[in-house]
Amino acid sequence: MADLRVTLCGVELKNPVIPASGTFGFGREFNEIYDISCLGAVATKGLTLEPRAGNPVPRIAEGHGVILNAVGLQNPGVEGFLSNDLAWLKSKTRVIANVAGKTLSDYEAICAKLDGLVDFIELNISCPNVKAGGMAFGVRPENVAEVTRVAKRACEHTPLIVKLSPNVESIAANATAAEEGGADCISLVNTFTGLAVDIERRRPILANNTGGVSGAGIRPIAVRMVYEASRAVTIPVVGMGGVTCAEDAIEFLMAGATAVQVGTQNFTDTLACPKIIEGLNRWCDAHGVKAISELTGTLCPNT
Amino acid sequence: MREFTATVLENVCIAEEIWSLTFALEEEQAVRPGQFCMIGVENFPLKRPIAICKAEGERITVCYRLKGEGTRKLASQYRAGEKLQVLLPLGNGFYAEESEKRIAVVGGGVGIFPLISAIRAYAAQKEIYAYMGFRNKAAICMEYEMQRAKRLVIATDDGSYGFCGNAVQAFKNDFSNARPDVIFACGPLPMLRALKAATAGMGIPVYVSLEERMGCGIGACLVCVCDRTNGKKARICKDGPVFEAGEVVL
Ligand SMILES: Cc1cc2nc3c(=O)[nH]c(=O)nc-3n(C[C@H](O)[C@H](O)[C@H](O)COP(=O)(O)OP(=O)(O)OC[C@H]3O[C@@H](n4cnc5c(N)ncnc54)[C@H](O)[C@@H]3O)c2cc1C
Ligand SMILES: Cc1cc2nc3c(=O)[nH]c(=O)nc-3n(C[C@H](O)[C@H](O)[C@H](O)COP(=O)(O)O)c2cc1C
Ligand code: FES
Repeated sequence: MADLRVTLCGVELKNPVIPASGTFGFGREFNEIYDISCLGAVATKGLTLEPRAGNPVPRIAEGHGVILNAVGLQNPGVEGFLSNDLAWLKSKTRVIANVAGKTLSDYEAICAKLDGLVDFIELNISCPNVKAGGMAFGVRPENVAEVTRVAKRACEHTPLIVKLSPNVESIAANATAAEEGGADCISLVNTFTGLAVDIERRRPILANNTGGVSGAGIRPIAVRMVYEASRAVTIPVVGMGGVTCAEDAIEFLMAGATAVQVGTQNFTDTLACPKIIEGLNRWCDAHGVKAISELTGTLCPNT
Repeated sequence: MREFTATVLENVCIAEEIWSLTFALEEEQAVRPGQFCMIGVENFPLKRPIAICKAEGERITVCYRLKGEGTRKLASQYRAGEKLQVLLPLGNGFYAEESEKRIAVVGGGVGIFPLISAIRAYAAQKEIYAYMGFRNKAAICMEYEMQRAKRLVIATDDGSYGFCGNAVQAFKNDFSNARPDVIFACGPLPMLRALKAATAGMGIPVYVSLEERMGCGIGACLVCVCDRTNGKKARICKDGPVFEAGEVVL
């Protein structure tokens, strides 16, 4: 039995496996299938200040080894989450509140509401920034630093994770920008922007036209980005993008991640997360690894 | 609801482009009529939502139309003895009140399959009037299951068998026989809209089973929503797939 505990920003997780934002709701539905207290933490569906209705349907499409989604941040609003779900979720495991906004002050206000109540706040900066003409906050390093700084002001008691978008020029530059802005941790990757076409109708499959690409097919790109980002910063990194099994998770850990998130695979197999936890334990035992935290950043690149 | 590793017992073509798949779960599972399952197909990230036609102890039967890549692979690759990942039972299902003695079931296309489970569940206690629409004679299947109904009208779009027209037309045409206390329906949206219009103001509750693309199938990802008439969103996989027709925007 290996020691699967990891420490992220001074907070101990019982293992490094975390369902990714947007694929797990607030955990209640999956808890009908298995007891989610086995998870290291849960990243909630993206929360906004006000409830949001999200995009029209269809909201999902499939490619080979990947899916595309355009849910559009449908959520009950932060108040709804605080009054209906937080206490229950906290009784189960560590809570990462994933948040989004349209303006800098949205980000500050939502962080202020959650500060001290959750274990981590994860900033989704892949949302269109009204001020920057609809370009996501997460694209330019200067915007990444600014939104991080503003959010960090409101996070007095709660560690701030900045979730990086992969749709950028340099992931290392944006990771550095987040660290300079005061992030306590970075997570990556969010989804890649994609387009799936219904060739019979000559139309996009998704009502939103474009959608975020996730799933096994993006994993090599995500692992490369986690590697580059983790080398650029001194704060811890949470890796994700196409994790389907324990071996995939270990790739991310070796590339530099302290913990991993699992998104799309929860759809393929509702038991994905507990299976990955079990698999990590087995792998560590078989490889004489006593503590999983030993694996972080141990990748030796070819010279 | 639970994730099962089932064993395929039979997977055969039963009509034009329609296959019937029976699999055995690891243990018995109670299933309500109108509930569905999500079937995993190897190497496809998303499971496919398919209605449960029959549930007999640990044996489950579904019927599916060959639509795209996933259902085609399901038909070509999964033979008896093979393992199958399935998540079930999902959704709310059809429900008739004690006082509702006469049920009309109106189904078109693959929409007939969830209704088969309703016919099977209620045929012993209720009078069922079934109106089932198919493209043509070659597409007709599961007739022996539908015959459990007190009255069965099969309709074909091209008139090659039974009533010429769609299931809603067949139902309207036969309404004086059926005089239902409640209606269960599933099929393409235009069919459901026509049924809603045809029954407007009659005071008969109409329950429709809806389809949408799905991610998780259990209510967590908010991928499969529809609009409620009160302006709120509903998750088809968890709050549905069966809704009172007046409660959702069709
Ligand atoms: C609750 C429910 C019950 C259903 N019951 C049946 C049934 O009993 N028999 C049957 O033949 N079909 C049924 N369907 C439709 C069935 O899910 C689709 O035909 C099937 O998913 C198509 O998969 P594919 O890989 O062949 O098609 P592709 O077009 O290659 O699929 C691509 C993606 O789109 C999704 N998709 C495509 N069409 C539909 C659709 N109409 N509804 C939902 N998702 C879709 C697929 O699941 C997959 O994720 C049901 C749908 C729902 C929502
Ligand atoms: C249906 C769906 C909804 C998502 N919603 C959010 C969200 O609200 N906030 C967010 O930061 N990321 C969201 N994501 C991105 C995931 O959290 C994750 O970054 C991405 O899917 C990559 O991981 P994966 O390949 O394991 O799925 C969503 C992904 C999916 C598939
Ligand atoms: S498919 Fe995830 S909520 Fe319905």
